[in-house]
Amino acid sequence: MRLLVGILCVGTLLTFVGQAQILRIAFDAADLKTLDPHYAAATMDRAVVDMVFNGLVRYRPGDITMFEPDLAESWEVSTDGLTWTFYLRKGVWVHPFPEAPEGYELTSEDVVFSLQKAADKDTSAYAGEYVGMTFAAVDSYTVQIILDKPLSSWLFLPKVADYAGGFIVPKRAYEALGSRFATNPVGTGPFQFAEYVPSQKVRLVRNEKYFRGAPLLAGVEVWYMPDVTARLSALVTGEVHIIEGVREQAWVEAVKRMPGVVVDVFGPGETEVLHLNMSKDPISDLRVRQAIAYAISREEVITAIGADVAEPLCAAVPPYLAGGLTCAEVAEKGLLYELNLDLARNLLAAAGYPQGFEIGAYITERASYRKPFENVQAQLARVGIRLNITVVDHSSFHTLIRQDVNPLVHYEAWRPSADAFLTRFYHSASIVVTGAKPDTNFSHVTSVDSLIEAARYELDATRQAELWKEAQVQLLEELASYPLYVLKFVFARSEKVEYGYELKSSLALYPQVTELTRLK
Amino acid sequence: MVRYAVRRLLVAFPTLLAVYTLVFLFVRVAPGDPAVAALGDYASAEAVQALRERMGLTVPLWVQYYRTLVGYLTGDLGRSLITELPIGQQVATVLPHTLELTFAGIVIGAILGIPTGILTAIRRNRFPDYIGRTLSLLGLSIPAFYLGILLIVAFAVRLRWFPVMGAGSFSSISANLRHLALPALTLGIIMTSFVTRMTRSCLLNVLNEEYVRTARAKGLREQTVLYFHALRNALIPVVSVLGVQAAVLIGDSVMTEIVFSRPGLGRLMVQAMMQRDYIALQGLIIIYGTLVILINLFTDLSYGIIDPRVRYE
Repeated sequence: MRLLVGILCVGTLLTFVGQAQILRIAFDAADLKTLDPHYAAATMDRAVVDMVFNGLVRYRPGDITMFEPDLAESWEVSTDGLTWTFYLRKGVWVHPFPEAPEGYELTSEDVVFSLQKAADKDTSAYAGEYVGMTFAAVDSYTVQIILDKPLSSWLFLPKVADYAGGFIVPKRAYEALGSRFATNPVGTGPFQFAEYVPSQKVRLVRNEKYFRGAPLLAGVEVWYMPDVTARLSALVTGEVHIIEGVREQAWVEAVKRMPGVVVDVFGPGETEVLHLNMSKDPISDLRVRQAIAYAISREEVITAIGADVAEPLCAAVPPYLAGGLTCAEVAEKGLLYELNLDLARNLLAAAGYPQGFEIGAYITERASYRKPFENVQAQLARVGIRLNITVVDHSSFHTLIRQDVNPLVHYEAWRPSADAFLTRFYHSASIVVTGAKPDTNFSHVTSVDSLIEAARYELDATRQAELWKEAQVQLLEELASYPLYVLKFVFARSEKVEYGYELKSSLALYPQVTELTRLK
Repeated sequence: MVRYAVRRLLVAFPTLLAVYTLVFLFVRVAPGDPAVAALGDYASAEAVQALRERMGLTVPLWVQYYRTLVGYLTGDLGRSLITELPIGQQVATVLPHTLELTFAGIVIGAILGIPTGILTAIRRNRFPDYIGRTLSLLGLSIPAFYLGILLIVAFAVRLRWFPVMGAGSFSSISANLRHLALPALTLGIIMTSFVTRMTRSCLLNVLNEEYVRTARAKGLREQTVLYFHALRNALIPVVSVLGVQAAVLIGDSVMTEIVFSRPGLGRLMVQAMMQRDYIALQGLIIIYGTLVILINLFTDLSYGIIDPRVRYE
C-alpha cells in the first residue's frame, strides 16, 4: 500500500514539474458553450476567446478606460465622422489549422470578412451593433468602415475592440472549419487552441509567432469546475493557479486569510438594478414606485452582499462609463430616494394601499440575483408590500421575464457603453414582448427615446455625456427602475501568478492572461 | 439463454421509443429557450430568433420529432444545440470515464460490502454487527458530494496523495488510477454501506431456512453450510441490487463528477437540461436508457451463474 501511494505521489509530482509554465484557470462552469467570439457571452467562453483572438484596437489590459492599438497599428476618422480608416500591422500570423499547417498572414480581407460576419444576424449574436456600417478593404493592410451616421469614438471604438463582435475571425480558418469553429477556434492571439475535453477543460498553447512576441507561459488550461470547494481545494494544492471566486464578502475575507493566495476584486462589475414594471398595477402608479424606492435601503442590500464586492449604483449607467452618474450627482438632483419608511407608507396610503399589497415575481436560483431580491423582499415587507418570490432555474427566469410576467425584475448586466445601457433597458423599441425590437426594457418606459437617440449621434463628447445624464435624471424622476449596486468580479490566485499588468478592470470578465503573464 | 437475451433486446426498442417520446415532450414543456441559454442576455431578440431558426426550433414539433427519430434509427444522435458537437462524439469522450467510475464504485462496494455483510450476519447482535451496522448507516446517510469533499480535504489537500480534479488519461494507467481513487472511494463507501446491509439482511433470512437447518443436521461444517448453501441463495437479491445500483450510479454520480471535476454522462445530462439543449438531452437519455436495459439484462443473466436452478424461459 505504501509503495502504491509512493508511486502515485511521485507520479503527481512529476506531472506538475513537467508542466511548470502551464497556467491553469478554473471557472464556475460545467462546460463551455461556444468559442466563436461572435457568440461567446459567458465568462468562461469570453476568457478563452480573449486569449485566442484580437481586435483592431484593444482595451488596455487591466484598464478598460483606455484604448490602444491591437491588430491595427493606427487609425483615423474623417472630418465628417463617417469614415474610419484602420492601418493593419504587417506580419500578424493566423494560428495553424489543418488546411494551413503554418498559418498565414492576416490581411484586410480577413478583417472585412470578420466584421461582415459580426454584422450578420445569422453568424453573430452582436449583429445589432453593426447596423448602418459597411466595410471595405482599401489594400491588403488598410480597412475602411463607413457609417450611415457619425458616431463618437466612445461609441464606435468598442465595436472594433477586443470584445464581442470586435474580435477578428480569420476568413480561411472559419470557412475551412465550419461548425467545428465553435469548439476549435483559430485566431491571432497570444495562445492558440490545442484541445477541448468536454466537461473538463480547454487546453491552449503558446503562439510562438505572436506579433507582440511569444508569451512567457508555455500554455494555459481553462478548467470547468462548478463546485467552489473543489476550485478552492485545487488552488490550495497548486493544481490550478487562478480560480473564479464567490462574489460575497465572507468568501473574500476567508480566502484572503489563506497563505500564498491573493484575492483580486476588480471592475467593471455588473449593474444590479430593480426594474419596476410600469405596465402592471399597482406599479403603474408613480406613488407606489416612489414608496418602493423609499422602502428600500441600498446600503442595507450592499451590507448584506459586502462592501468589498459591491459599490452603490444610483443611476442607470455606472459612473465609470462616459455619461454615467455618480451618487453625488444624483444626490444633488434630490433623486437618491434614501430610506424613509414613513414617507413610503404615506405614499402607499395616498395611492390607495394603506395596508400595502401583494405581488408575485420569479427569480433565478443564482445567488447573485436571488440574495439581493430576497433582501428587497424583506425590506418591502416593512411597509406592507408582500413580495412572493418563486425561484426557477436561470434559463426559465430569462424566458419568463421576457414574457413580461414580473412586476419587479432584478437584473444583472454589463453593457459596454451608456448608449447600450439606455437603449437596451429604457428605449421604447426594447420593451419586452411589444417593442419594435423586444429586448430588456422591463419597465415599459417610453419617455427617453429622443434623448437616447440624440446622444447616440452627438459627436461632441461633453454634450453627449450631458444628454445621457439628462436621460438618467428623467428615468429617476419617473422611477422606471431602482439602481442598487455594481457587483465586482472576484478571482483568487496563487501568489506565484504575475499578470504582467495592474488589474483594475477587465472587459473579458476575468483577470486577462496576456503574453506578459507568468508563473514565478 | 440466447433466445431469452434476444427477446429482451427486441422488447427494448418500444421501451426506448416511449422514453424518447416522453423526453421529447417534457423538455419542450419546461420554460426556457436554448437560444437564450446559448447567447446570453446581451444578444438581441433578432439574434436569438436567428439562432432559433438555425437550431431548427422553428419547424413544427412533429417534424423535429420525426427528423430526430430517423437520425436515431440510422445511428445519428444529432448535434448539441449549444456546442454543435456531435452527441455521439461527446458520449464517446465521457462514457469511458463514467463506466470506469461506476465499475470501480461497484467493485469496491462488492469487495468490502459482501464480507462485511457476512460478518455482521454471522455475528448478529454482537460487537462486529453493531460496528458494521453503525458504519453502514453512516455511509448511507452521508451525501456523495459531502463525502467527496471530506476525502478531498483529507487525501488531496492535507496529505497530497491524490489530485483534486479531473480524470486521468486512459493512456497512462498510473495517472488514471490517481484521478480515479477518490471519486471511486466516494461511490465505493456508499455502495459498501448498501451492500453490507443487503447482504446481512438476505443472509439472515436464508440462515433461518429449513434447508440450512437440514445441512447443519447432516453434520456439515458451519463454513460449508454458510458459503455453499446459504450464501449462494442470499447473493441473488444482492446481485440484483448491485445491477440496479450500477444503472442508477451511471446517471446519479453527477455530484461526484462535479465535486471531482470529472467528465461524465450524468454531468453532461444535467448541463444539457440546464441549457435546454433538447437534442443533447434526448440523445443522452437514449444512451442512458440503453445502458440501463443492457445492465438489467446482464444482471438477469448472472442469476443463472449464481444459482444453476434458474432457467430462462
